[in-house]
Amino acid sequence: MVTNEDVLRFIATIRMSSTYDFTDYSDRSFKRRIEKLLVDNHLDINQLSLKVSKDKDFLEKVVRDITVNTTELFRDPEMWTTLKYQILPKLKKNKSIFIWHAGCSSGQEIYSMLILLNELGMFEQAKVFASDINSDMLETAKNGQYKYRFNLGYFDNFDKVIKENPFNYEEPIVVDYEKYFDIDKVKDTITMKQFLREKAVYRKHDLVKDGNIFYSKFDIIFCRNVIIYFNNKLQNKVIELFSNSLYRDGHLILGAHESILGSVANNFDKTKGFYKKKQF
Amino acid sequence: MSDYKAVIIGGSAGSFQVVTRIVSSLPANYPLSVILCLHRLKHIRSGFVEALSIKAAMPIVEPIDKEPIKTGKIYLAPANYHLYVELGNKFALSTEDAVNHSRPSIDLSFFSAAYNFKKKLVGIVLSGANKDGALGLKSVKENGGLTIVQDPNECQVPTMTLACMNATNVDHVYSTQRIIDFLLTLD
Repeated sequence: MVTNEDVLRFIATIRMSSTYDFTDYSDRSFKRRIEKLLVDNHLDINQLSLKVSKDKDFLEKVVRDITVNTTELFRDPEMWTTLKYQILPKLKKNKSIFIWHAGCSSGQEIYSMLILLNELGMFEQAKVFASDINSDMLETAKNGQYKYRFNLGYFDNFDKVIKENPFNYEEPIVVDYEKYFDIDKVKDTITMKQFLREKAVYRKHDLVKDGNIFYSKFDIIFCRNVIIYFNNKLQNKVIELFSNSLYRDGHLILGAHESILGSVANNFDKTKGFYKKKQF
Repeated sequence: MSDYKAVIIGGSAGSFQVVTRIVSSLPANYPLSVILCLHRLKHIRSGFVEALSIKAAMPIVEPIDKEPIKTGKIYLAPANYHLYVELGNKFALSTEDAVNHSRPSIDLSFFSAAYNFKKKLVGIVLSGANKDGALGLKSVKENGGLTIVQDPNECQVPTMTLACMNATNVDHVYSTQRIIDFLLTLD
């Protein structure tokens, strides 16, 4: 059994041994991740703290293991449909469109967006940046290769967002999967086409302490199912960073069950889960 | 005034009609928070909250992350997320891996609710085809809360309630009607 005091001491150890600070992470899920780490590594909390303080590589591994990574192609199709028909058309006339995927995990969201942009004829003008605290995940995102079987279920989402024609359900939009993916059923892989893989700029980034590292403002920032792992205080700090990093009228897109609860919410107009930065 | 602040209900296969009966029996001004953690089949992932809302007098929501837990409301764990109760009476969501093939995991919700509400929690486990919830209900008991399972004889699938009775010395084994009668005494 790990106590709250154990967790606090462990967080302090990491803070003193590295630049990572988990102080303002959400209590319950963080505690559970530690408990899982102990079981997986056959250590007790004191042994774990000791090892983390002495072994930098192990510490990096712990950080990678402790951060949660879930993402899927076109997760929440309704959000993507809104993006496709209501948000992106307004940006089409822009010479450049700046997009940041903050906490991109293994990258399925980036590829979903790139596919959507390509379908709308907006691929060339898009400048795409992606970041995550977990360097393994960034590597996976860059490589753009996933387990085919695991991603099989998400073709439904692809069909809904890309192929469904909301103006005439009888006439779906014809798009072959081969346009975007190489599928190898024997090797059980689905690989994103090269033109997609080459598009985004990837950087390691810690939302807790790093600001906007891309020296750009953005038209769209994605940060979905990331701030659920932060407490209110850190959530507000991160939202503040996004607010400062958006062009006016730029959009922040959070996860389906995330919301801005602090006063920084006043910086945005909210419709259907999209936070549009107000003009000041 | 009741000694309890919250009721947490876990259910899986065969529990939807039972849950519907329970929530439709509670009055609009019910003075506790009701937390529902149910395994949902793919085809009823969306629309369930709307369907329950029609039947229930109490307001029903799928909580957003860090939403404060209020009395007089029913909270339904959103599909595809784990639902935790954080210290300070708030919900927190997580997309961590499924536990026992389940997300939401009943155990995780029960553990965190038990830890937060201690003896002011009523934990109820209903019909279901796996063991999720057994360890959760045990932790409700260990934290001083009250534990109830739906009578296995009445359950469409009794695996879950039997697992609970194996895991801990459950306080009450009740039929759906008795669960409702009991919850109404807390009003």
